[in-house]
Amino acid sequence: MPPIRDKYTIHSKAVVCQDVELKGDITVGSGTIVHPKATIFAIAGPIVIGSNNIIEEGAIIVNRRKEVMRIGDDNIFEIGCRVESPSVGNFNTISTRARVHHTVRLSSFCVVGAGCLVVPTEDEVLDDYTVIYGPAAERRKWTGRGKVQEADLRRKHAEYLREMLPKFNRLRRGDGT
Amino acid sequence: MVEVSGYYCPNCLFEVPSASVRAEKNRCARNCFLCPNCRNTLSVVPSDPPETADMRLSAIPINAVGEAPFFLYCNHCRWDSAEVGITFEKPTGLAAQLQRFEDSAPEFLEFERLKEHFEPFLRASSSSPALSTVHSHHIHMNPITAAASSALARDVPGVGKYTPLSRSRVGRERSTGKDDISEYKSRVEIGSVSGLGAAGEPDVEFVKHLENMEEVAELEQRWMNSWANSTQASDLKPLRIPLLSKKTKRCPSCRHILIKPEQKAQSVRYKIKLVAANYLPDITVALPKVPGSESARRASNLKSSVTATEPDKGPDGMIAGQTYPFHLAFTNPLYDLIQVRLSVQRQQTPADRRPPFAVSLPTSTFPVAAFAEAWEYEDDEDMFGVEDEEMDDMDVRGGRNPEAKSKTKTVGVLEKRANVTVIGGEVVISKEATGDVKFNMLVSYTYRSDDPVGEENEGTPSRSAGKPEMKTFSFSTVVDLGPVIPREETRTEFDI
Repeated sequence: MPPIRDKYTIHSKAVVCQDVELKGDITVGSGTIVHPKATIFAIAGPIVIGSNNIIEEGAIIVNRRKEVMRIGDDNIFEIGCRVESPSVGNFNTISTRARVHHTVRLSSFCVVGAGCLVVPTEDEVLDDYTVIYGPAAERRKWTGRGKVQEADLRRKHAEYLREMLPKFNRLRRGDGT
Repeated sequence: MVEVSGYYCPNCLFEVPSASVRAEKNRCARNCFLCPNCRNTLSVVPSDPPETADMRLSAIPINAVGEAPFFLYCNHCRWDSAEVGITFEKPTGLAAQLQRFEDSAPEFLEFERLKEHFEPFLRASSSSPALSTVHSHHIHMNPITAAASSALARDVPGVGKYTPLSRSRVGRERSTGKDDISEYKSRVEIGSVSGLGAAGEPDVEFVKHLENMEEVAELEQRWMNSWANSTQASDLKPLRIPLLSKKTKRCPSCRHILIKPEQKAQSVRYKIKLVAANYLPDITVALPKVPGSESARRASNLKSSVTATEPDKGPDGMIAGQTYPFHLAFTNPLYDLIQVRLSVQRQQTPADRRPPFAVSLPTSTFPVAAFAEAWEYEDDEDMFGVEDEEMDDMDVRGGRNPEAKSKTKTVGVLEKRANVTVIGGEVVISKEATGDVKFNMLVSYTYRSDDPVGEENEGTPSRSAGKPEMKTFSFSTVVDLGPVIPREETRTEFDI
């Protein structure tokens, strides 16, 4: 295995704190917020993160595959979660200490509840609006009612963080700037 | 004796007046609901504003109150009440809005009718003198408890009490009261209403077309509902949150209140809290790492409750086939000198196996000096050296034995300081022992109470007498000395 080449492309409007562990080829889109102590590892292939995502403390995002790991827009990765899925759509919520294996692909509007393990042995795609919850990682479908309000809340959340985080943290800039 | 001192909703912390508890069926009548799917608390949310064509939300003005219809929404599993067709025009007084649906449900009407039908009979039987004897032990009750217990203890005609005596009585009463009771005609014939359980055909049809298990409501999810309910998960309705109660505890013999919580639901404190642990000697277990070492002192300063004695798990644990000394430090919370006697209780083990270890403890009584406030202010460090001399002055009755501290002895009184006495014991572990070394110990202690103020919880109503009186109490506790390390592991353990 060739040594990992570090290459960070961070959009000028993104907020990536200094105290973040990055490794490999990583692209962070506009408006995305990466809290301190988060970890993004592009071990094999590159990771491309879209816009307006929130990646909280202790979250770990790993790409173990050769192909590009794409994370869409407006996702939230809560504290201490671990996501290895090769593709993540939009408006997903990965709750605190949840774990999503590299065999799972997330569509959009999915919710992985706090502490849930999503570790199927075979490849699987979670449909839109899938909700995983509870200690046994039960699944159900969300009707999607209330998603506009949730999106609105997410937007305000990100807006606030974009304003507040730079006041108390040094920010990381991409290689280009 | 436990009594109810008040009801409250665990979600909104509203204290429900006891008068309305029964009318509200022991559930919160405000805006608190449980998710039928996952038992999380539901929140009321307004509907989404009309969606824009593309999902890129520009500045959609969402007003503070939101738009009707409102519905209940579970933040955990994303269940929402619109799925089962429950929506509200305004976000307040939801229970009242739901009540309308509930009241018109066929099973509810049926139950109301049943109650109405049996009401005159119940009233007649509850006023009969035979019943009053049953409640004779509930004289000293506050009205809340009385209401609750009389509702529970009331005889249901046809369902006899568990005593064979009362069964015959109920039978007799029934025969006398039978004349007043007309035949009950149900409002609807069973099975004629669709959706009212027991309708076999649709259920069979449903199960036949079942594709995944989630469509069937689990028993746990249906448990709180009436029995005649649909088995489909899609039919589950939100539940009002059951109320909780705060309870007071009384001494059964002298009616003195021992534990009384504060009335406010927000508060977790107690107005009165007289727990036995405050009056029992505090026992701390320590296992010296090297036999005869003084490492126990570190642990013996830790406060731990009597019933949950913490083992001092040394890094090496205990090895099967060896003998270990251990220390028990007794701390006296009372203002009187106590004489303690220990005995090891027989282990409840299967008949074919003997306990894999043997415990020896001093069998004679030993004193633990009285507690005095002055010791609380002293540093722990000071207590080891300096205070030994002071203690001699203070502890007149202590009967200090200078030889007790000799390092050669393992079983017996090892150390006495302030209101702490350290006792040495020995455990012999057999060669094939595994698991934790735990044994039951009966502790009995005697003291001379000449201080009537200090022994309020002991339950003696005659507190006027100032004359000294010997009191003996005993309690059982489990002493956990930690795990036994199997022989194979010992090598690796020693390397570290």
